[in-house]
Amino acid sequence: MYRLWILAAVACGLAVPGCTNNPYPDTDRDKKVLYSSFNEAPKTLDPAVAYTTAEHVITGNVYDTLLEYHYLERPYRLIPGLAEAVPEAKKLPDGRQSYRFRVRPGVLFHADPCFAVGQAGRQTRDVVAADFAFALARVADPAVNSPVISSFAQVQGFADFSKRLVELRKTEGFGALPAHEQYARADGIAGVVAHGDKELEIVLAEPNAQILYWFAMPFTTPIAWEAVAYYDGKDGRRHFADHAVGTGPYRLALYEKQYRFTLERNDAWYGSVPANRDAPGAVFPKVIDPQDIAEARIDASYAGRQLPFVDRVKFSREREDIPRFNKFLQGYYDDGGIIKESFDAVVQGDRLSPAMQARGMRLDKTVEPSIYYVGFNMEDPVLGVPAGERGRKLRQAMSLAVDSQQYLELFLNGRGVPAQTLLPPGIFGYAAGYKNPFRQYDVARARKILAEAGYRNGIDPATNTRLKLSFDTSATTASAGLQFEYLARAWREIGLDIEINATTYNQFQDKIRRGAYQIFIWGWLADFPDPENFLFLLECQSARSKSGGPNTANFCDKEFDRLYREMKDLPNNEQRARLISRMLAILERERPWIELYHLENFVLSHAWLVNSKPMGISAPAYKYKDVRPELRARLQAEWNAPVRWPLYLVLILVVAVTAPAVRTYYRERL
Amino acid sequence: MAAFLLRRIGYGLLTVLGVLFLLFVLFFAVTNPDDIARKAVGERARPEVYAQWKANHGYDKPLFLNKAFAGGDMRRYTDTLLAEHYRRMLTFDFGRSDADDSPIATRLWQGAGPSLSLTVPLFIFGLVAAVALGLFVAFFRETYIDRAVLVLCMLTMSITSLLYIIAGQYLVGKLLNWFPISGFDPNPAVVARFLALPVLVGIVAGIGADVRFLRTVFIEEMSRDYVRTARAKGCGDARVMVRHVLRNALIPILTNIVVAIPFLFTGALLLESFFGIPGLGSLTVEAIQGNDFSTLRTMVYIGALAFILGQILTDISYAIADPRVRLG
Amino acid sequence: MHWVSNAVVLLLVLGAIWLARVVPRERYWRENALELWRRRRVAIAVIAAYLLIGLLDSIAWVDAASEANALTSGRPATIVDRIFKPESLKEASYSAPLASVSFYGGQPLAHPGAHLLGTDLLGRDVVYRTLKGVRVALLIGGLTSLVVIPIALLFGVSAGYWGKRIDDAVFFAMTVLASVPNLLLLIALIMVLGKGTVQVCVALGVTGWVHFCRIARGETLKLREADYVAAARALGVSDAGIIRRHILPNIAHLVIITFALSFTALVLSETILSYLGIGLDGSWGQMIDQARNELSRTPVIWWNLAGASIALFTLVLSVNIIADAMRDVIDPRTRREGR
Repeated sequence: MYRLWILAAVACGLAVPGCTNNPYPDTDRDKKVLYSSFNEAPKTLDPAVAYTTAEHVITGNVYDTLLEYHYLERPYRLIPGLAEAVPEAKKLPDGRQSYRFRVRPGVLFHADPCFAVGQAGRQTRDVVAADFAFALARVADPAVNSPVISSFAQVQGFADFSKRLVELRKTEGFGALPAHEQYARADGIAGVVAHGDKELEIVLAEPNAQILYWFAMPFTTPIAWEAVAYYDGKDGRRHFADHAVGTGPYRLALYEKQYRFTLERNDAWYGSVPANRDAPGAVFPKVIDPQDIAEARIDASYAGRQLPFVDRVKFSREREDIPRFNKFLQGYYDDGGIIKESFDAVVQGDRLSPAMQARGMRLDKTVEPSIYYVGFNMEDPVLGVPAGERGRKLRQAMSLAVDSQQYLELFLNGRGVPAQTLLPPGIFGYAAGYKNPFRQYDVARARKILAEAGYRNGIDPATNTRLKLSFDTSATTASAGLQFEYLARAWREIGLDIEINATTYNQFQDKIRRGAYQIFIWGWLADFPDPENFLFLLECQSARSKSGGPNTANFCDKEFDRLYREMKDLPNNEQRARLISRMLAILERERPWIELYHLENFVLSHAWLVNSKPMGISAPAYKYKDVRPELRARLQAEWNAPVRWPLYLVLILVVAVTAPAVRTYYRERL
Repeated sequence: MAAFLLRRIGYGLLTVLGVLFLLFVLFFAVTNPDDIARKAVGERARPEVYAQWKANHGYDKPLFLNKAFAGGDMRRYTDTLLAEHYRRMLTFDFGRSDADDSPIATRLWQGAGPSLSLTVPLFIFGLVAAVALGLFVAFFRETYIDRAVLVLCMLTMSITSLLYIIAGQYLVGKLLNWFPISGFDPNPAVVARFLALPVLVGIVAGIGADVRFLRTVFIEEMSRDYVRTARAKGCGDARVMVRHVLRNALIPILTNIVVAIPFLFTGALLLESFFGIPGLGSLTVEAIQGNDFSTLRTMVYIGALAFILGQILTDISYAIADPRVRLG
Repeated sequence: MHWVSNAVVLLLVLGAIWLARVVPRERYWRENALELWRRRRVAIAVIAAYLLIGLLDSIAWVDAASEANALTSGRPATIVDRIFKPESLKEASYSAPLASVSFYGGQPLAHPGAHLLGTDLLGRDVVYRTLKGVRVALLIGGLTSLVVIPIALLFGVSAGYWGKRIDDAVFFAMTVLASVPNLLLLIALIMVLGKGTVQVCVALGVTGWVHFCRIARGETLKLREADYVAAARALGVSDAGIIRRHILPNIAHLVIITFALSFTALVLSETILSYLGIGLDGSWGQMIDQARNELSRTPVIWWNLAGASIALFTLVLSVNIIADAMRDVIDPRTRREGR
């Protein structure tokens, strides 16, 4: 019998050399593939609906838009994409404005079974202006339920179109028609006009300076009516929400949304057509900032070269941060963020640690156009407007008790900028060096103001116990719990009795709906780099209680709203700056929010990933990047040699321990 | 035998109906369809959108009694959530996920493969390891090996499986670089690498309890007369252990095996979740984190079905192995 | 609601005193208890220590608000809280066990050398948090079972004793509940009922009830056929009397062993629930889940995980050992051989 044991031990020993921790098949090693990961599965790929980063990673690279952001320039600037130029606003009679786009030639949809066989024997067709109109009609269609429908409200006839559709759908048989038929019968949107095949005109009923930004987002990408009609989920076909038919430099080749997806190079992209040789969206920027070159972020030899460079981008789902980061360190992902747990090993002082530098990695930092804040329900009788001056001083005191810098250090390794106002650096209206008097950590002053509010040491004179306030949260993970605990402790420090009510997401939304909340915590990442995209969060008509809008603090101030309406459509000039600073002064005094921080994105890239410059605004970037496969293969092998000796040691130990018993037994038997 | 079979299956069916009722009470009577609709569709949609969504997902009818129909009309009872629930579950019409509208049946098919590729090797290797260790320890009972192994079993049983997984990932994946930390690729050339670590961790976590049980069973068998006879006749030890003891001890082992079969399908929840294996266990964990009640409901139902099936099979195999059962 | 937990503690203490008076009267119990004590003194002592800590952590009262204790008044503070005074022992963030400087940055601590197992992310003493977790563990394993056992016994004994319809009904209910895989049913219950201490305990109770009921029913079925029961019935003893005097005492030992085993199962399953985000606040499972990320730091932060794991492991191991020993003590075969 003990022969069996020896056999088993030898078998194990022989198996060991086959071990490796590489998650990719060996055949992939020499291709130009970029490996990345995603955390949340995309819910939908419908460009009219997709709004999260996970979804945008796909829609941004698979769908082209009329305008794009320049890859390298900061602050961000719009450049033409599918359009031949960035249009200027043309004033029309009676206060209307019009923008005219000219679509480039040679833009084809990806080859897809939903098209009849067309040019050059492939199942595809040219993109025409009507496709853009179709996309906008879908955004206006209430049945599509686009989250940005209100952002196009100034387009002439937008809301009317939605209403007409709803009316027509009440008639018999209308609902059974395919979408493009329905839109045609409803006469389309008055302000979206296709002049021939290549000219698109957008007419605004009132000026809206930010509308151009929306044309850099997939909400306005051309959509083929054939794709929407074909991918209806019947007869084994996918839903349009799970299938992308775009025009972009990459196609979605594999899509198992819970686990992985792959982007493959599109050989028929408009950038490869000779007529578009110099299209700004199809070539690498010719002028490169010397700092980018100096910091090895961008390789100067790429200037003016045709895009894209990488053949394939493979995404794998990583639900947990730590395995993802570990795989990055092993070289199996080409880029990624840093996790809190390993921060100190990776970053020392303000730069990469020597260990990481020795591996040839690069660290890029950008401040995201975001704001994370604690909000008060301004309709609450104790905390909000009904409590008048008392409520205001209470909010001011609470604002003084929170130390953003320490919060950042504890929970985010300092990867952020403590916020003074809601506007982040890089957005017009941000004043560097400005210090919000209520955002400087000062417990003594907080206590004084709290006493002025009538709550000396936090004691409510009406009940003679500490003032009880409720902090409502919807995140139930352990790490989030620690962050809430920290904030609650800050307020307990000045004497208040804070109760954290952590509930599931459903229960939280219930509370918000009923107005049964006092203090909450939230964050906002801008859609586009304009101050309007932050200030609208505190406009009265966006109030949660009035219209279900994003103004969860229910902040309603007449003066603020008046200034907002004035500043909304101004260009970035002196007058606008003055209006904005007056608005910020109101916010400073009223404290509907405690502005915590603006997040700083730390992105690590490996030495073999070239031309990677992080963009704070979510934008397509894979077409600009490149990889060096031989370098990657070499470094991966170097970093991941399996450690074999423990196994041999364990085997020897097991044999050694059991041998005496076996020997004794055989001896006694004889 | 046939009578026994029929009775047993009949009772199993009754149990299934009972389980469905329990699920109904939990998922329809206690939870609020409005909340589920809001989570899925979003906060700012119009009431018609919610109503449409609820109709699509089968949440829009009254619970037990549909008062829209008159007393004598059958539809008073059949056009209700209760009747719909029973009809759909019994015909395996699982509908769509509450979270992202994908058909649940498709996800089940997709998840079954990875789950089985994890749990079947786990089960087989685990069993082989436990039996081998159990035989070894039973053979050397009362020696230091026996005592040491028993203590080890006790210790390993007292550690939570969460710790095994964490330690396993850290040690083997990170420090030793033997296997990928997590992930899965069905490509046959590489699939073994992804399964090696979870299978190993799963075996180590469960082996303590199994070995103790098997040891007791084997020792009891070894004290029987026929073993003494076989030894007296001159059979070698290995032969005695394997051909006589193991075979006769199979009956209690068998009942344990068959009971474990349902778990092959429901997937090892924790293992799949930590190691990123896209199986049925992962599906369940996602349903929990995404508040997806319809998928959760389906998974519980499938688990119960598999369990009941396992019980029926156990009873049948017991009846085959032990004549007293089927004749009694 | 600290007066609720105070009341429960009072009840438990009264119950324990009653037991301590009743048990030594029966020779069977007295001998078994003494035998158990003789064999496994260490394990029993360990469990007693845990019980004491849990007890200390359950008695709480509120201090009146005043200038001096501005931070802590208004909240009920248990005896453990008062001994450890967590608010005054707080640091800024992580620190190693018995260190005098903080882990990141090396600044001197407010209380150097005072933290036996260091501090966690928010600067809370790890030993204090571990001790707070004792009460939660006892709550999950012990209190849930204690509430569930009488109900399960009621159903199980009735089913076994009176048989026929009652038995069919109870057996069916048991089968239905047992057919759903335990973890899945637990998850479903908590998802439906919501997060919270009471809800989790209810869910654990609903899934754990079946086990006890089955044991009670099986044993009662066997005992019902015993000679002395038939004799008692012939003598005219009422059903209730038979159950109280003959059946219950004879299944008691099995119930105790099952209780011990289900205790460990419940506590271990709570760690899994904590990982899924639906466990109890302040439990060891939550500490392990929070600490799980810390293992990946370099240098490794291990004390948070160590504290919770060791506490959990010791408790579970002790209960397992006692359960094993109890089985040996009660089984006449091993007793007779005098091992």
